[in-house]
Amino acid sequence: MPPYIPAMKGGHHGIYHRRIDYCNSGNCNYQTDLATVVPMTIEIHNLTKMYAGSRGLLPISFTVEKGELIAVIGHNGAGKSTLLKTIAGWHLPDSGSVLIDGDPVSDRKKVVRKIGFVPELPSLFDAFSVEYNLTLFARLFRTPSSRIEEVLNEFDLLPFRYSVVRNLSKGLRQRVSIGRTLLADPPILIFDEPTSSLDFDITREIHDMLRGFHASGKTIIFTSHRPDEIRSLATRVIILRKGLLVFDGSPDSYFSSKDAEPIHIS
Amino acid sequence: MMPPLITLTLNDLAIAVKNKSVLLIIFIPFFVFISLKLVDQSGRNLPKATVGVVRSEAYAPGMIRAMKAAGTLMTLLPVTDEAEGMQRLRDKKIDGLLLHSALTRDRFVLVVQKKEAVQTLVIIESIATLQQVVEGKGSSWISEVRATEDGGIGKQLLPTWILMLVLLVGFIVMPAQVAEEKEKKVLLSLLQTPMGEIEWLGAKIASGMILSAVAIATLHLLSQDKPENILNYVLFILLGCFCFCSYGIFLGLLCQNQASARTLGVIFYLPHLLPCALADYSPQLSAYSRFLPSYYLIEPVKALLFTNFSMSHFTPELLYLSAVGVITMTFSYLLIKKRWLLS
Repeated sequence: MPPYIPAMKGGHHGIYHRRIDYCNSGNCNYQTDLATVVPMTIEIHNLTKMYAGSRGLLPISFTVEKGELIAVIGHNGAGKSTLLKTIAGWHLPDSGSVLIDGDPVSDRKKVVRKIGFVPELPSLFDAFSVEYNLTLFARLFRTPSSRIEEVLNEFDLLPFRYSVVRNLSKGLRQRVSIGRTLLADPPILIFDEPTSSLDFDITREIHDMLRGFHASGKTIIFTSHRPDEIRSLATRVIILRKGLLVFDGSPDSYFSSKDAEPIHIS
Repeated sequence: MMPPLITLTLNDLAIAVKNKSVLLIIFIPFFVFISLKLVDQSGRNLPKATVGVVRSEAYAPGMIRAMKAAGTLMTLLPVTDEAEGMQRLRDKKIDGLLLHSALTRDRFVLVVQKKEAVQTLVIIESIATLQQVVEGKGSSWISEVRATEDGGIGKQLLPTWILMLVLLVGFIVMPAQVAEEKEKKVLLSLLQTPMGEIEWLGAKIASGMILSAVAIATLHLLSQDKPENILNYVLFILLGCFCFCSYGIFLGLLCQNQASARTLGVIFYLPHLLPCALADYSPQLSAYSRFLPSYYLIEPVKALLFTNFSMSHFTPELLYLSAVGVITMTFSYLLIKKRWLLS
């Protein structure tokens, strides 16, 4: 096992762990294997994106270092999802810029393989099977078909490969959504409320995945309302309030600050 | 306390208002009323007809004099030869063409687009009246009425069914499909792959064209009706499919969800279909339909089904349909590129 992959806690929830076993067993022939993951930096300069009703992002700037695991938190409507969607290229900013290792996020051809975005609600072709969805996106990413097998295996989706997505549970759909994002193995992963309205077991499973991705060197940004999630996962916390960045620091300093309580009460 | 049945009924009505389905309830009767009003000729003066006469033909002098004198009923338009006359007939510049009958001396063949059209009835009625006035009793000046669109009622209705299929895919299927991808954010996920906006648009248009083409091919196979010039016909059908699929994708991108896409689709579908389908029965609808892209599909389809015109005859129609397709595709591209209305 590569040294940067920690042994996972949680027994059967170690899905990401299984990927290592799978690859070590000689099945993994995907080019960008775990050992070759190259983490990226994100630079955000004076980013603004406003909606009607003065909601959105006011000019905010920050930099994300390689391999960080950042929790973006704030009240509903604070601009968390807008920030993530703008970084992922789902939105175009009104002004300012997002650079991924020096390349503007608007230059899709250059950054499309560097960022993977997992939306809050899985955006899948839900009338089709899990395998169909993965195959479609694998073809669009021009990844070898063997990668589909790897993802199905890594995310424990083999028993559901022929299941129609709309018939799957919420947790499984989220797993398929994450698996699809991981097809191209991007070094930056962005999750919009990855555990929102999921049960305890699925939440723990996703936490394990996030830890695994982080341990493999990926840069991760996620939004959350759960203090336990932020405390156990994040290496850095960013707070947005009414579109402005009001806190940027470690989880410890966040939980000891006066900013913590009002957000979680909301 | 309101009974649950009433509460749910009111909720369903509220949903119909919210997703704009209620617009259809108002729009369809209103639109059908206007169309029928335009088709209904009762109580109205008969429209003036334009009749083509070939310069080199030897028409009976009495007939030509009488037709010229009856300026309120018809206008005579001299044409160089039969070919020019047929072209003008196809372009609807004239309503009928008088040709010398090969069988009967001093009698003529009236060539029209459709025997059942209002203008055909006007010409026949007017000439019969004039003949009565000039010659009194005697055999009619017109010995035969020949339609360019002849081949049984099935073949005559075929262009309307074809237009219906193309518009159905363009305005009903495509907008709903696009709106579904938008609603479920699948479109944004697809745009997170190396695939570009143009490729997405191209794939959507191609799928719509294939659906329309398969439907039309099946219709032809079942009806056993073949166009005179298959290659030109296929090219025109494909161009029409491109135009309306592109149009439909643009409409889909304007909608937030499938329900509103279906409503908007029907609102565009009927005004593009009915005036063109009923144009032969109403000069008013015929005049209105000239503003619609569907007119520039159905007219060449009719002509290619019944005659052997070459593509060069349809240059304006080709340009019009291509322009509508390209313009709506450009708007769609801009909407996606700028991520407008996508989230």
